Amino acid sequence: MTNHIALDPKRSIVVEACAGSGKTWLLVSRIARLLLEGAQPSQILAITFTRKAAQEMQARLQLWLRDLAMKDDDFVRQFFAERGIANLSDAQLQRARSLYSNVLLAQPGITISTFHGWFMQVMQRAPMTADVMQGSSLLERAGSEQDEAWEELLEQMRKQPDGIEAQHMQWLFGECGLFNTRKLLFNFIGKRAEWWAYTQGQADVLNFALDNLRTDLEVDMEFDPVADWGICGNSEEVLFAFLRQLASNGTDVQKTKASELERAWTDAVPETRFGKMLPLLYTQAGEPRSFKPTKKQDAEAFLLTRNVLFDNLQAVRDALAEQQAYRLNEVVLHCGVAFLERYQALKQQKQQMDFSDLEWQLCHLLQQSEHAETMQYKLDSCYRHVLLDEFQDTNPLQWQTLRAWFDAAVAVDSQPTVFIVGDPKQSIYRFRRADARLFGVARDYLKEHFAAHELRNNHTWRNAPAVLDAVNAVFADHPEGFVDFAPHTAEHTGLPGYVAVLPLAITPPLPFAGEGRGEGEELHLRDPLTTPRAEAEEGARQKEAAQFADMLQTITSEWSVMEKGKERRARYGDIMVLVRSRTHLATYEEALRARHIPFLSSRRGGLLDTLEAEDVQALLMFLITPFADLALAQVLRTPIFACSDEDLIQIAGARNKVQEASGENQLVSCPLPLAPESWWQRLQHLAEPTPALQHATELLQRWLALANKLPVHDLLDRIYFEGDVLARYSAVLPIEMRAKVKANLHAFMEIALSVDSGRYPSLPRFLQELRELRYSKDDAPDEGKLGVAGDAVRIYTVHESKGLEAHIVWLLDANAEKKNKEGNDVLLDWPTHEQRPSHFSLYADQASRGKKRAPLFEQDAAQQAREEMNLLYVAMTRAQQALIVSGNSKGEDKEEKKKSPSWYDRIAAVVEQHKTSNPFALSLSKGEGSGDSIQASTSSARTVCIPPILPTGKRTARNSLQQQRGIWLHALLQHLTDYFPLPIAGEGLGERGRELQQRLAIPSAEMEPLWQQAQHLFASPQLVRFFDAQQYRSACNEMPYVNASGELKRIDRLVEFDDEVWVLDYKLGDSEDAARYRAQMQEYRAAMQAVYAGKRVRCALLFAGGVLSEI
Amino acid sequence: MESMSNSGTQTAAAVFFDRVARRILAQHAPPNLRGVTILLPNNHVAQPLAQALGAASKITLLLPQMVTLSDWAQSVVLDASINTDSQRSALLYQQLRKQKWFEQADLWGMTQELLALFDELTHSLTALPDNAKAFAAAVQQAYQARQNTTLQLESRLVFELWFAMHAGNELDAARAYQQRLAKLAAQAHQPLFVLRTSDWNALEQRFLDEYAEHALVEVFDLRAMEIQSGTPRFFAATSLEQEARAAAMQVRLWLQAGKRDIAIVAQDRVAARRTRALLERAEVLVADETGWTFATLSVSTVLDRWLTALQSDFYHHDLLDLLKSPFIFADMPSSERKAAVYQLEQLLRKQGVVAGLEKFSVLVEHEVVLHQPLARLRQAAALLEQGKRKTLTAWLDALRESLNVLGIDSGLQQDDAGQQLLRALEVWQQELASDQGLYRYTEWRRWLAQQLDMQNYLDNSIDSPVRFTHLAATRWRAFDAVLLLGCDANHLPSVADGGRWFNDAVRSSLNLPTRSSHAARQRDDLLALLTLNDCVLVTWQKEQDGEARLLSPFLQMLRDEHELAHGDDLAGKPATPTPTLPRGERGQTNRSANFSLDERELHAYLAAEEAHTVGLPQSAQPAPGVANEIVPASVSISAYNSLVACPYQFYARHILRLNELDEVQEDIEKRDYGERVHDILHRFHERYPLVSEHPVDELEPALRQISEQVFADLLAVDFAARAWLARWYQSLPAYLEWQKENEAQGWRYTESESAFDWELEGVRLRGRIDRLDVNGVEKRVLDYKTQSDQVLRNKLIEPGEDVQLACYAYAHEAADAAFVSIESGKVKLVAPKQDVPQLAQLNAERLEQVMGRIRKGAGLPANGIDQVCAYCEVRGVCRKGEWT
Ligand code: SF4
Repeated sequence: MTNHIALDPKRSIVVEACAGSGKTWLLVSRIARLLLEGAQPSQILAITFTRKAAQEMQARLQLWLRDLAMKDDDFVRQFFAERGIANLSDAQLQRARSLYSNVLLAQPGITISTFHGWFMQVMQRAPMTADVMQGSSLLERAGSEQDEAWEELLEQMRKQPDGIEAQHMQWLFGECGLFNTRKLLFNFIGKRAEWWAYTQGQADVLNFALDNLRTDLEVDMEFDPVADWGICGNSEEVLFAFLRQLASNGTDVQKTKASELERAWTDAVPETRFGKMLPLLYTQAGEPRSFKPTKKQDAEAFLLTRNVLFDNLQAVRDALAEQQAYRLNEVVLHCGVAFLERYQALKQQKQQMDFSDLEWQLCHLLQQSEHAETMQYKLDSCYRHVLLDEFQDTNPLQWQTLRAWFDAAVAVDSQPTVFIVGDPKQSIYRFRRADARLFGVARDYLKEHFAAHELRNNHTWRNAPAVLDAVNAVFADHPEGFVDFAPHTAEHTGLPGYVAVLPLAITPPLPFAGEGRGEGEELHLRDPLTTPRAEAEEGARQKEAAQFADMLQTITSEWSVMEKGKERRARYGDIMVLVRSRTHLATYEEALRARHIPFLSSRRGGLLDTLEAEDVQALLMFLITPFADLALAQVLRTPIFACSDEDLIQIAGARNKVQEASGENQLVSCPLPLAPESWWQRLQHLAEPTPALQHATELLQRWLALANKLPVHDLLDRIYFEGDVLARYSAVLPIEMRAKVKANLHAFMEIALSVDSGRYPSLPRFLQELRELRYSKDDAPDEGKLGVAGDAVRIYTVHESKGLEAHIVWLLDANAEKKNKEGNDVLLDWPTHEQRPSHFSLYADQASRGKKRAPLFEQDAAQQAREEMNLLYVAMTRAQQALIVSGNSKGEDKEEKKKSPSWYDRIAAVVEQHKTSNPFALSLSKGEGSGDSIQASTSSARTVCIPPILPTGKRTARNSLQQQRGIWLHALLQHLTDYFPLPIAGEGLGERGRELQQRLAIPSAEMEPLWQQAQHLFASPQLVRFFDAQQYRSACNEMPYVNASGELKRIDRLVEFDDEVWVLDYKLGDSEDAARYRAQMQEYRAAMQAVYAGKRVRCALLFAGGVLSEI
Repeated sequence: MESMSNSGTQTAAAVFFDRVARRILAQHAPPNLRGVTILLPNNHVAQPLAQALGAASKITLLLPQMVTLSDWAQSVVLDASINTDSQRSALLYQQLRKQKWFEQADLWGMTQELLALFDELTHSLTALPDNAKAFAAAVQQAYQARQNTTLQLESRLVFELWFAMHAGNELDAARAYQQRLAKLAAQAHQPLFVLRTSDWNALEQRFLDEYAEHALVEVFDLRAMEIQSGTPRFFAATSLEQEARAAAMQVRLWLQAGKRDIAIVAQDRVAARRTRALLERAEVLVADETGWTFATLSVSTVLDRWLTALQSDFYHHDLLDLLKSPFIFADMPSSERKAAVYQLEQLLRKQGVVAGLEKFSVLVEHEVVLHQPLARLRQAAALLEQGKRKTLTAWLDALRESLNVLGIDSGLQQDDAGQQLLRALEVWQQELASDQGLYRYTEWRRWLAQQLDMQNYLDNSIDSPVRFTHLAATRWRAFDAVLLLGCDANHLPSVADGGRWFNDAVRSSLNLPTRSSHAARQRDDLLALLTLNDCVLVTWQKEQDGEARLLSPFLQMLRDEHELAHGDDLAGKPATPTPTLPRGERGQTNRSANFSLDERELHAYLAAEEAHTVGLPQSAQPAPGVANEIVPASVSISAYNSLVACPYQFYARHILRLNELDEVQEDIEKRDYGERVHDILHRFHERYPLVSEHPVDELEPALRQISEQVFADLLAVDFAARAWLARWYQSLPAYLEWQKENEAQGWRYTESESAFDWELEGVRLRGRIDRLDVNGVEKRVLDYKTQSDQVLRNKLIEPGEDVQLACYAYAHEAADAAFVSIESGKVKLVAPKQDVPQLAQLNAERLEQVMGRIRKGAGLPANGIDQVCAYCEVRGVCRKGEWT
């Protein structure tokens, strides 16, 4: 591709680039070019889809700019030569060198962000007059708020069961059941942004939507199709015409049918009549029963009458279906709108908004040109260059927002250049409302309004030719609407590659299971003590899993990979395993575990389900509910205490003894916080606890005392430390699990640090939050990350693998049939060029969809099918060198019934095909290059000694009230003497007194007596000369000095008279102690004598009671 | 690590202090320097400066007045009274509320932002135009905007509020500061020396200028003192844990090397928290100059829970959380308090009470120990009536009173932070006493939450050579060693939230601080810190959650400059004498191989720490054998099922008798539904044993009526109960249909819900069957299930895996047994494929046999299949997953 065009800072560009073609390289290169051309960092906005990608871009840019600043001129010239500038001028060179520090220190800097991050930033500058939630924080866990709103909604309905919404809800319950009702309404809420877009500007949103729907469905709710059919004379004629056909010369079956139908017709009530006839004419699945003419019948007449009848009936059925669909929408929308209102109100009350609110509000805001302009002004950055990455993942609202932004920019005369890069083939986020078609829309828009250039790139730097051949072959004939595919070419033509489709694992013929048993065979029940039950999954999947795990072992022992042009032995870390969904992952993981293969199943949100995280939760649970026996038993069995079953039995058995011993006096002698039969009670009173139990008892007692006193994190830290948790887990675990478990334990610690940013911490709340987190779809914390050092097989869903690559990719379970779209959802049509959706409705299941919406459902299904292909494309293109595909099947017959080919079939087909002409099986050279050691020794050979524990720092004892009063008085004296005039005797506390009280943080109850005391001192005839400014030359509080030996000292009050200087030292204690202070006072005297050479220096202690004692 | 214990640590700083001291002494003759004032960036600087003065003069010196500007200003007496911030924000809040402008907004937050803006405007000294229109025009110009009504509106709003707030004679803290400084400058008569490292704000700068008109001013600005910042050492961590551990290890090494004044500058609070915990493990207490907001302290939690419990009508989680706080009922012995709480918890778990103080009171009727605590809760709750609107002070009064009643007050008194919290409440009570605004409970709570978010708690009780501090507090300070924690690009410079009001262009035209001035100050402070301190370690996370992070740009530049200086002599820069430069490091590439020497050393220490191991046997699949005495004598059907599914599960549940705690159930569950359906059918057949005797239009209404009765209690409390009832109604006609068919086949309902207890060889089998039908001499046991027939068929696929039907048949000597599947409008019988009497016999024999062996000590292995384990509550006990 022509970089000089793509990177030309003056042009707007749209690039469609295939996987591995270096989209990030291009985008960051363009930023470099923009900067070189003189763009200010703050003028650049780059948006990508994940925070991680944004971070990577930032890092890459910084690294490049650093090189430009620090390497030699040739490097710089070469760098830009690769990026479209053949001859760098000297001025440009100088500029290139300065970019690094300019960019690094720029305020504001370059914005490289996600849509959400950037939206949030823009939203903060929303005009005050706009109707948005100002100053709201971003709600990160929407799930629990939605549940809360749902509960509120039901509660409201319970209180007003006759309200319209309650009636509707009741209908839904009856029609769909609780589960599906919930699903419908939650799905409605999930599409709220689209709903708002759909109904924007409407005063009565419900009627608007329902009116539209009535038109779309061509439905008349007043009309009764059944009655109509029954009344219509023609119907009877048609029916009986057909009945006559059946009866005359028909088979016996046909004749019976005819008389049954005739009987049904006699029912006078149209509904019942219709109801009785339907099952006679239609199968249970709703298909017309097949009535075929026999040889004896007049086929033509038979078919004619049959078809007329069925056409009539179908018309009735269709009309009913549309009515049913409309009814459902009416009801769901009523309830949904009420639900949505509650949800919004709840967030409003908590001053929070969620991502959908953010997207919608911003979009809406920017579509009002006045606001859009305002925000252009208000942002600190004025974007002249906008770069958008992964554009195929944009959703309609995001696109509308961008468009509005662009339009506004044009309106304020600052039309930016726009650079879009993406690949519609990799669009796999429909479930997040992304729409790959927007890529084309944006392209056309930019071409029209920004004179954008369009470029395509199908040249990849990632895949070996062998892998690429497979990709090209699978997609060559544009399956499932994959029309935009053009063959890819490889950069690394010499890279060895390998594609293998392993034979399908097939369920071995059932040996027998209960039923198929031979006649004479004895019925025999399994003995659970000796014979474990066979896993239900036993069969095809197990076989595939075994095959998979075995081969992984082979790969690491026999394969090599190329890294930076060098060959080295393959290792587990080189292998990326992809699955479409995690549903069956456990089976494969089990196989890995059985062979001790380390793997990382960075299961999103899996942390809290791991055994170790459950252990810690059980422990914390025990600490706040010590009567939770099961939690305690678990804690005892964890490696932290590693108690055995014998230990548990000892505790369990102890009950009898406690109970036996418990006459009435048992309760008296043991006034314990728990019912005596709790395990914790028994544990503490065991006659002869084993060392493990004893250890556990001691530590648990200690931690119980700390629970709820320490913040959760500090408590956990104590537990980890005193329980030696990490080391003990490591000790009991097989080697391959250790790193993982450790990482998880640390990750758990991090949650404790971060949950709710540590606000209002308490243990019960923490556990409650964990429970919520655990069951929330999107926010459950991930398992701990292993450092780069961890050599483990990585398992991802295809969705998660976006943006990743690996030497060896294994596509697992590739023969699974694709999921059918589930029901109870929103059907949406948002034509990509429109500002709002053109259709918004809900559907329950297949049967109630009706006919009128069929084109929309088909459109939806087509997009779904296309996305399936996109997923496959993404999966295959992750592989740099080797792609291995495996799958399983329940049996042969099922294979044939498949509606469309599976991924496995597709790849297998092309691998087969090419086998003869162009064999892929270029096995990687084996065995060689294995000598190279992976583990560069990181630590210096020198052994180190951990520093010993050095107790450092201490907690100062708290002052007694007496001491504290002295300190306050002292402070009061100082502050008062800084004021002029002194308070007069009897002067009330007043304004000044209160201000002092505040400043010195004296409790109000204490202030009054102290105030009195101070006045008393000032008024004392003996002391007045030290405080009344009229009577001395100068005075100074807290007077610091350094003596001749350089020591820093401080005098409480120094008063200078004409002939003498007084050093006053305030003392809290009794005047008896005066003698103790002699040495100190001597020091003061000597020092002051040195300063006030001509005067007499006198020293005195001033006691709180007012005694002045000169020394 | 000798390189760390740099004996010359103080020298870098000492050189500068010496220069300052000599300069002052040259201007002013010793020994009495009282006539000189030195402005310090913070009070810590007084000591080294005094020492420098002493050292330079070598005689006794009366030291100059050494103060910070704000302390100095405080000493100036003003005539006008000063509005506190709390008064001000209450006033402004009421203004905003009256205008109803931002109805969707968080008004308290808005108030805070506006006040911050007003203070900045005060400090900026920019003479604002005297009318709103002119102000708006000025703002518009700064935006370089065309006519735009929104922008105008906003600036007018700011202007008018600002004007309204400044209408009275009362001052606010910012204006008082301004006036005090003006006074100080006007009265200036002593020479003034100033120490600083970074820019002052406009107000302070003007003070200096005015002062200079009256007296000598000399500024020692480190930036202008030919500084040469040293190179810190770096530690790039791959996780939070690693960073914290490296930091803690470094501090310990420093302590071991004899360093006695160690500062930890915490840019990242999370890392700081973690580090502190790790240091405390090693018995290193850390003093803290930074403090924590009250919202993060557990003393505030008890307040929050109390108010939350009130608001949620004592939702049980909130209530228990409150009662488990160590600060409540402080007058009760803690063991008694805990005993009472646990008792309450067990009761409410058992009875399933969700919320409502009255319900709890009923619950504890017979528990004398709980009477008093609940009475106190009621009494305290009465004090805080949520329906009313009150003044902030009235709410606070009520709160204090309620804290008293609950014994929280005395609980907090026993804690240092608690005392400070109470003190803060008291101060607000006093400050707001004259505020007349009325607030709803929720408004007041939000106010309180904001106060607790802003108020800082400083723990002064720790005396330690290791301290947390923040960057701005290090100005002109020298330490034995400094640890800069959390220095990734996100944390340094930290970004001040500019607020929604104006952008930086406008802010700078109004002379308000901007993002860049904020960043520049941090940079200057950082460079100053590195100038005065030789022994500095920077830690940061180069990876977080698997994402790469960048080093702070300031430090990155510094690092690069040093690299350049070393790599490139032609630039003419003298090579700095730091030997451990990370030379040749190439950014992101392959860092692991390129640890700097020190970094590697620290890694070695961490590795050594980690290398600690414990000797424990590897985890293995358990199969405990138990003593005869504790093997149960009788077994229920579900226990038998458990024994078959996994003997260990049976052992845990029925021998150890470990059960999950009851959870307070808030929603109707499938299980409840099943029970209700059983109940309905039981009642129905007791009344109508033979349905064919009755017409359908009698039966259906009757069955519905019974159903409604059975569901009545659920319907009263939960709307969703209607959905469950609807679910049953869906199958109701089918059920009657099915029953009629049964009867047509000759089956007669005889009894239901009857318990049995069957004596087998060495073990008794207990259970209760749903229903028994007879047909002549034949018996058939039935079990109702609200599951689909497919699910039930799967249950029966492998004979002996589900023992229920077989055991029922055995107990009743029935030849037939079946599930009745009642689901989705259909009712179907599902019977085992095998011969039922034989199956029954075999199941009974197996039970006898297996129990016999268990009594003899046979092990009970943990051998459940995944499907069973997925729902097994004792996984944590058998430890499946640890062993394979
Ligand atoms: S988790 Fe599985 S193996 Fe362990 S006790 Fe439960 S059922 Fe048995």
